[in-house]
Amino acid sequence: MSTRKARRTVVTGIGVVAPNGTNTEAFWKRTQEGMSVLGRVTREGCEDLPLHIAGEVRGFDPVALIEERYLVQTDRFTHFAMAAADMALDDARLGRADYEERPFGVGVVTAAGSGGGEFGQRELQKLWGQGSTYVGPYQSIAWFYAASTGQISIRGGFKGPCAVVASDEAGGLDAIAHADRSVRRGTDAVVVGAAEAPLAPYSVVCQLGYRDLSAAEDPTRAYRPFTSDACGFVPAEGGAMFVVEEVESARERGARVRAEVAGHAATFTTAAHWEESREGLAHAIEGALREAGCAPDEVDVVFADALGSPAADRAEALALADALGPHSRRVPVTAPKTGIGRAYCGGPVLDAAAAVLAMENGLVPPTPNVFEVCHDLDVVTERARPAELRTALVLSRGLMGSNAALVLRRPA
Amino acid sequence: MTERLTYEELAALMKKGAGLSVDPREMENRSETPFDEFGLDSLGLLGIVAVLENRHGQPLPADADRCKTPREFLDLVNNSLMTGA
Repeated sequence: MSTRKARRTVVTGIGVVAPNGTNTEAFWKRTQEGMSVLGRVTREGCEDLPLHIAGEVRGFDPVALIEERYLVQTDRFTHFAMAAADMALDDARLGRADYEERPFGVGVVTAAGSGGGEFGQRELQKLWGQGSTYVGPYQSIAWFYAASTGQISIRGGFKGPCAVVASDEAGGLDAIAHADRSVRRGTDAVVVGAAEAPLAPYSVVCQLGYRDLSAAEDPTRAYRPFTSDACGFVPAEGGAMFVVEEVESARERGARVRAEVAGHAATFTTAAHWEESREGLAHAIEGALREAGCAPDEVDVVFADALGSPAADRAEALALADALGPHSRRVPVTAPKTGIGRAYCGGPVLDAAAAVLAMENGLVPPTPNVFEVCHDLDVVTERARPAELRTALVLSRGLMGSNAALVLRRPA
Repeated sequence: MTERLTYEELAALMKKGAGLSVDPREMENRSETPFDEFGLDSLGLLGIVAVLENRHGQPLPADADRCKTPREFLDLVNNSLMTGA
């Protein structure tokens, strides 16, 4: 048995529900092809709002994937999370037989920033349209940030440490760090990740006040970080879930070790003051590398936050220069989210999924719709770039001031 | 309205409100079995109480949502509707 100190956390399962694919294989295929799926917002009630372009998850049929008793009491964001969790568990080959003797050994951690807006709006319309007695009881739980953690835990019978991280968009990475700490403290495995469904009328209206939300109408021009045409970001829905577990017990049960969760750090800077995120993000990168025992020039690929507004992009490029030194100009930087949009907390976990797949495939996926980069970064554009990738750095910032960095490594 | 609540209607309410497929005849045969075993939790029963109150335009007794079994619930609802309480 490994000692407490030596416990290390690895990814053994990945599940994805994204605008460019409702399973991991489809997501990776389109991500490495650099295909953009950004398009007009078509979700009911959103068509006439002044948000024109988004990354919608299409072809996702929750009825085919999730039992009706869970569907009636959950929002779309939890449907995504439950479906992605099932895929991650299948991928990890972690079935009930593996944990029913030790249900307290498996926990669940999710992050959420948007909550269940669609479900909540429906019930609030009943409140004001018909009266308080017409509001269903599941309104009390479905909108809530913690809903996905709770429902995944109940549905799977996971009785280990459960948590929800509400720390802004970068919370997606913080959730993975939380799960890592839980494993290092003795939990066998954690189902961890984030999924969001912010493309419902109420949720979209809440976002319209974001200064950095792209108002563009052309899907090829709406989200182009690191270019002189950067005009904000495009929101998206979807996310990813992982199974992470202690490396020795993963190997003992014959699981495929896909990546190591090597380091993480998070900081907080002033909301909407992107220039301050330079220092915060640099500090997070340095902290994550330190925890990983990783020198700056060992970073083989950066999955950028890529917010898409000039000040935010500049701050991120400078943060990379501050933290990585001259290596920041050589390391390949990518932002596949320009092809699918930013799914809030789901965004950085989709990047983490892409980072694991990139390392496995020796391929840095490109940054769709981005061509002429106006920062001192080697942004991978147009087509995927073959490379030997042992260490990936994933970055995320939130609109409210959170900054986080995660280091993932190929298993030794 | 004094229409009695039947097992068929209760099963339909459980389907619509809580997404549960329960055979009404089985529920009638096992009417002393706790709701839990049919998959109905306390929030689910609370929702059914609200639907019935809206449908009949009158409140049910305050402990309606604490009934443990289908039999207990049907007796309480039907007694309440009969007396117009």
